[in-house]
Amino acid sequence: MKQFLASFLAVMVLALSAPMTALAQGGPLRIEITEGVVEPLPYAVPNFVAESAGAQELAQQIARVVAEDLTGTGLFREVPREAHISQITSFGSPVQFADWKAINAQALITGAVSQEGGRVVVKFRVWDVFAGTELGQGMQFAGTPEGWRRMAHKVADQVYSRITGESGYFDSRVVFVSESGPKDQRSKRLAVMDYDGANLQYLTGGNALVLAPRFSDDGQRVLYTSYETGLPRVHVLEVGTVQSRILQGQDGVMSFAPRFAPNGQTVVYSLTQGSNTDIWAMDIAGGGTRQLTSAPSIETAPSYSPDGSQIVFESDRSGTQQLYVMSANGGEARRISFGQGRYSTPVWSPRGDMIAFTKQNAGRFHIGVMRTDGSEERLLTASFLDEGPTWAPNGRVIMFARETQGAQGSSSLYTVDISGRNLKRVRTPEGASDPSWGPLQ
Amino acid sequence: MHTGHYISGGAHGLLIVWALFGGMFRSDPPQLEIADVSVISEAEFAAMMRPQVAPPPVEEPEALPQPEIEDAAPEPPVPETQPEPRPEPAEPEAAAPDPVPDPVLPTPEPETSDVAPQPPAPEPVPDVEAPDIALRPIPRPAPRVAPEAVPEPEPDAEVAPEVQETVERSETPDVTDAEEQQATSPEAATTEIVTEAEDPARAPTASMRPQVRPNRPAPEATAAAPEAATPAPEEPAPQAPAPTEDATASAIAGALEEALSGSPSGTGDGPPLTEAETDGFRIAVQDCWVVDVGSQAANVTVTVGFDMDRSGQVVGASLRMLSSEGGTGSAAETAFQAARRAILRCQGDGYNLPPEKFDQWKRVEMTFNPESMRIR
Repeated sequence: MKQFLASFLAVMVLALSAPMTALAQGGPLRIEITEGVVEPLPYAVPNFVAESAGAQELAQQIARVVAEDLTGTGLFREVPREAHISQITSFGSPVQFADWKAINAQALITGAVSQEGGRVVVKFRVWDVFAGTELGQGMQFAGTPEGWRRMAHKVADQVYSRITGESGYFDSRVVFVSESGPKDQRSKRLAVMDYDGANLQYLTGGNALVLAPRFSDDGQRVLYTSYETGLPRVHVLEVGTVQSRILQGQDGVMSFAPRFAPNGQTVVYSLTQGSNTDIWAMDIAGGGTRQLTSAPSIETAPSYSPDGSQIVFESDRSGTQQLYVMSANGGEARRISFGQGRYSTPVWSPRGDMIAFTKQNAGRFHIGVMRTDGSEERLLTASFLDEGPTWAPNGRVIMFARETQGAQGSSSLYTVDISGRNLKRVRTPEGASDPSWGPLQ
Repeated sequence: MHTGHYISGGAHGLLIVWALFGGMFRSDPPQLEIADVSVISEAEFAAMMRPQVAPPPVEEPEALPQPEIEDAAPEPPVPETQPEPRPEPAEPEAAAPDPVPDPVLPTPEPETSDVAPQPPAPEPVPDVEAPDIALRPIPRPAPRVAPEAVPEPEPDAEVAPEVQETVERSETPDVTDAEEQQATSPEAATTEIVTEAEDPARAPTASMRPQVRPNRPAPEATAAAPEAATPAPEEPAPQAPAPTEDATASAIAGALEEALSGSPSGTGDGPPLTEAETDGFRIAVQDCWVVDVGSQAANVTVTVGFDMDRSGQVVGASLRMLSSEGGTGSAAETAFQAARRAILRCQGDGYNLPPEKFDQWKRVEMTFNPESMRIR
């Protein structure tokens, strides 16, 4: 009886005192936050300060390109200049953080441009407004007046990197197939441009059909397939000199879908002999080739992992087009795509953690991503025809070609964030397809 | 040994019986007493008589402000026209009290007071206030109506014979303000990403993972620690653990000791934060926590420690990363920067925390866990 009474009293006292105990603890207040917001980070870029007589216009242009780069990612939102309270009149003057806090700018980019003779110098600083500190240290770039856009892209890359902790992708180029004319008489030329569509240059004439250009990892060479000789042949083009040569010449066979290995010395491609298509690898310097697959089905669209140890490709060995991964030396392949529809054109992310692909299902085309083991498949786009994904150098954005329906339909390039947000078109003067994103320069 | 069980069983049985039948016994008597209500009815009758007398106060408001307003302002036309296009009770109210001073008035008036805030001009302010004071029911409408109606003298009955117009005009000036606000509060903010490939109208194929419940301080763990020592501040507590000597008893003893001896550490004086106060703090910060769901930093859970002053503002220099989990070093640093921006950006003039409980929140450890937002 005593035990019962004692236990009963003890439990009652405990029950009454438990909340007091919990709340009267002397440690810090502990709070866990599991929900945030997905929104662009507001930042401000006042006009860069012109530190020499003729640099006024250049300073404004560079600041504009920096803002376009950052805002174009969808991760940042520029606070309009009309809302700025204080002005930056000198690169070295202290920042009035209260003025920038008042307009809710979380990051501030200040810069200055000077031009003397043929040399332009751009310097900048990035500020964390609410912390009242500088993000990283000031930096400057020097170049020619013609290269001002590259300098602006480099500034934007630095800002992006300092705020997100990841490398940028603005100072990069894209090689693609520029298209003109109606669908039945379309002229296709290789072209290269900045990632945002500026500084477009043509690499080939329009007399031969060209397909699927692919940058090397150093951005100095481009592989592509040309019908110059009547049959598809893999060519390699030196971007600096715009000189190209046939990489492999073997009569009676078709070779296509080439792609560089990360080491730049090996090329994988598809080779069709009779009715069978397999994947081959070739050493560029020595010309030696070896067969990586030997199934009686069609294997094509190989893409290396960033470390060069594995290759993802598409195959219809199971009856429909699916994605497979095998060792870079060939051998047994394991299937990684199991969803409905047909998968094609897989591309390994530069980060190494994902694979982008084209998927055709229920009469629509999608660009999607999945983990390298095939899990967590996520479709990012949907349209009449989307195909040919290529990764930005930081593995954060995917560019692809989208073709509209009908005889007058045309192809153009789009980019989308891997989260599926920020789908937007890339400005090109003509139709465009088959993009390949080069490295950060 | 079994004595306790028998007693416990018996007591529980009695408790159940009492719970089952106690209510019945209670419910019956009221029914029986209803017959006796006749005695009470006298008092109630008297009480009922009072409210009937109440009408006079209603008359007072009629006489006081309403006639003045009606005379001065062309309200009557407004209500007449307005009710037709829009059944807004606001203006009908003004009209109703004037002609009908009878008890019917009270009901329409509160309704109008609720809806009234937007359209009615300053005129209604005295009108509505008067009935509110006179009529007992609704204290709320008064404060609402008063502040909002004051700034809207323009959309009188003269200018706006139609209710819609008045509403439009009242909104248009606000629109400009709203635009300015949009510039500061991003429109793209969202907690969910819908890609182009996803049909917006399609039902979700999988339900969201339930949110992680915040960790509790777990007093049990601390309670289990002090076990052997039984200072015996009171009689029953020490007696209970002594004879049993098992783990449960020692845990109980520890909890008792801690509860009876006060807080375990020195800073816990004062009333604790309520759940609502804690939630308010958390929500204030999470509204400013921008998560880049596609980044490597979205794989990092970071815990940030900081101190606060009595005004609820964060001591900037005290912000520090206590720990991080997942991701690389640079990703953790990026996650910390995002957390720091959230804490600093949303503090404004100080977080809304009760000053009298300063000891409870002067030091904070905040964990930012993006797991539920991560792209899967």
